[in-house]
Amino acid sequence: MTHRTLLAAVAAVAVSATSATAQDVIRIGTEGAYPPWNFTDASGELIGFEMDLARALCERMDATCEFVAQDWDGIIPALINGRYDAIMAGMSINDERRQRISFSHGYATTPGYLVAPNGSPLLEMESVETVEDVQGVLGDLVVGVQVATIHQAFVSDVLEDIDVRLYDTQDLLNLDLVAGRVDAALADASAWQAFFATPEGENFAFFGPPMNGDFHPVFGEGVGVGLRQDDTELLARFNDAICGMQNDGSMAALAEEWFGFDSSLPCPE
Amino acid sequence: MLDLLAYGDQGWGDEMLRGAGMTVVVAVLSYGIGLVIGTATAAAKLSNVGALRAAANAYTTVIRGVPELLVIYLFFFGSGTAVMWFARNLFGYTDYIDLGSFTVGVTAVSVISGAYSAEVIRGALQAVPPGQIEAGIAVGMTPRQVFRRIQLPQMLRLALPGLGNVWQLTLKDTALISVTALAELMRMAQVAAGSTRQPFIFYVTAAVLYLAMTTVSQALFQRAERLAGKGVRPA
Repeated sequence: MTHRTLLAAVAAVAVSATSATAQDVIRIGTEGAYPPWNFTDASGELIGFEMDLARALCERMDATCEFVAQDWDGIIPALINGRYDAIMAGMSINDERRQRISFSHGYATTPGYLVAPNGSPLLEMESVETVEDVQGVLGDLVVGVQVATIHQAFVSDVLEDIDVRLYDTQDLLNLDLVAGRVDAALADASAWQAFFATPEGENFAFFGPPMNGDFHPVFGEGVGVGLRQDDTELLARFNDAICGMQNDGSMAALAEEWFGFDSSLPCPE
Repeated sequence: MLDLLAYGDQGWGDEMLRGAGMTVVVAVLSYGIGLVIGTATAAAKLSNVGALRAAANAYTTVIRGVPELLVIYLFFFGSGTAVMWFARNLFGYTDYIDLGSFTVGVTAVSVISGAYSAEVIRGALQAVPPGQIEAGIAVGMTPRQVFRRIQLPQMLRLALPGLGNVWQLTLKDTALISVTALAELMRMAQVAAGSTRQPFIFYVTAAVLYLAMTTVSQALFQRAERLAGKGVRPA
């Protein structure tokens, strides 16, 4: 038995073990390339709405936050693997993701919007309001979305017979939109606002309805903290801290600061 | 536009250069380890022991037949799970073990690089004319002496062009480990592109840096080939 313990200790030192059960340090995984939710400044620091929010939440939970950068593609597997304890990466809560991880209350939401270049007949369409309207308008057009997002779930699974092009990042989608390789694209309003602010983005505009949980359930219940399903204690702590910030107005103030409008969600009863 | 690439806290120049440095470190380490793996595998492929031959063939067939990105994913998500499974079941150690994206990245690229090196080294060893080996044995050399005096020096010369090719592949494969979020050149370019919404400038910068690295190393390999070929009449 002592032999085993010794080996375990050696193994632990050899691979620099970190403890996920120590409750005073919460490691938070994020993408670091999705402004204004989470991104990186020119000095290499992670910044954004979710970084500030995480610090405020950890303060309320009497814990220390550590940020771990992770590519979007592997962000859920790495959580389940234990590389970090929570995901705060602009991740929308939906049932598909709920099969693998659990979510805190939603803390913020920004609707999805379709975008097309100025001059496109799509922008002239009137009364595009329901899912059926959108299906009719997009018909057999080429539509771009970022892979593994609620937007992809909508165009691939809810709509039918759309020629969908998938992109690893929002930037690659933007590049192809500018190049005219897609007729329209669907993404989050905050991502589009950042794009519209660039010289290339000036020639594009929204069309169709704001897409949120009321428009179609696939758009989910806003963005929340993603957690491992067996981490129920941490889930309760996050929910308490999130509701605390939602109820005293500090969540709204923080959202205002980063988005330019109040994208925060209220605390559910 | 160019102030985006300034050096220091105002621009991304220092991040990109640090990323390039990390790329070189990962590439050199992986290539070196890959050469060791490749030599051992080539020896195994040419050995008389059937099990060794089968194992070496299985390794090169699997690694060269599967996309590199997939190998990296398997290592990144599989190695942690595997190590933790062993730690839990053999030692009763239940905490999370972080192998680190650097360790995982270097391991994965080494294993890929090793499979390609193995084929180059095996080919070079087999290209030494058998008559020379027979001649060596005929004058009373031991197999060891034959290897050291006849096979090894010629093998090095014959393998160099192929190994130069493997080096370039390895250097470019490091870009794939950006999926583990290791701060190498490709990952830094992606982060900078996403954060500034100026993808073009950063991807072009990364391309220029990769090209600089491959150009310099190509020149070095050409020199090495000239040196190694000094005693040989050009065909």
